[in-house]
Amino acid sequence: MATPTIHDVSIGQALPSLVKEIPQRKIDAYSGVRPRYIHSDADFARTKGFRAPLAQAMMSTAYVSEMMTHFAGTGFVKGGKLSMAFIKPVLAGDRLTVHGVVKETRPEGAGTRVVVEVWCQNQHGEKTAVGTASGLAP
Amino acid sequence: MVDFPRLTYERLQVGEEFVSDTFLVTPEEIETYAFAVDDHHPWFFEGSPFGGPVAHPTLLGNQALRLRHSRYTVPGGLHAKMEFEFVEPIRPGMRVRSRGRVLDKYERRGKPYMVTEFTTEDETGAVLVRGRFTQMLFRD
Repeated sequence: MATPTIHDVSIGQALPSLVKEIPQRKIDAYSGVRPRYIHSDADFARTKGFRAPLAQAMMSTAYVSEMMTHFAGTGFVKGGKLSMAFIKPVLAGDRLTVHGVVKETRPEGAGTRVVVEVWCQNQHGEKTAVGTASGLAP
Repeated sequence: MVDFPRLTYERLQVGEEFVSDTFLVTPEEIETYAFAVDDHHPWFFEGSPFGGPVAHPTLLGNQALRLRHSRYTVPGGLHAKMEFEFVEPIRPGMRVRSRGRVLDKYERRGKPYMVTEFTTEDETGAVLVRGRFTQMLFRD
């Protein structure tokens, strides 16, 4: 089956999912390293109730952005929107799967805005982030 | 000079404004970001339909998210919500700056939250990204 693009969509259509492994090294590259920092200091993370440093929630927005750039192309890089709520922490060593399902299309300007329901799910099947993303089709 | 007092819920003022330093978007920054999030789309390195390479749309999110660090020592916190609108592509060679304003602060289940709206602009003042985020503050 062809990979769906923003030019040929139907409501309820699923986008190809992405799988992201998140080792500490990736978190360090994303967030930087410093003491008393919940993203890089394991002892500090434990004092806040987490068994490992947290991946920055913004990393999940980047994963959704990747999925949407593949789906909507230039219509996401220029004119795209993304809105997410982070509902469960993502820890170093977790694996996320990023999902998207086309939810709505509506006219906007001379084109069409295609809205996708998006979410990230960890290796235990728990949702960690939920929201919507959209791009413009000409 | 900036004094960097410790950020507390009580000290934070709704309507307070922040401005980041300028940041030069370099190919190395884009490469580091690509490594961090495992996204090596060719538009970020070779060229794009916009003419030349562009950066990941979310590349500058941390510049906005860290606006409060331009004035305060921040005890840390958790990121609750994020909204982005990608207005124009971010390109290597741009010098970018984010501006933000505290829209709201509130307590929920005994935890303090702040809501900030932001824009990120290039050196000509053209808006590249705008959005809003909600952060929970650690009390210490």
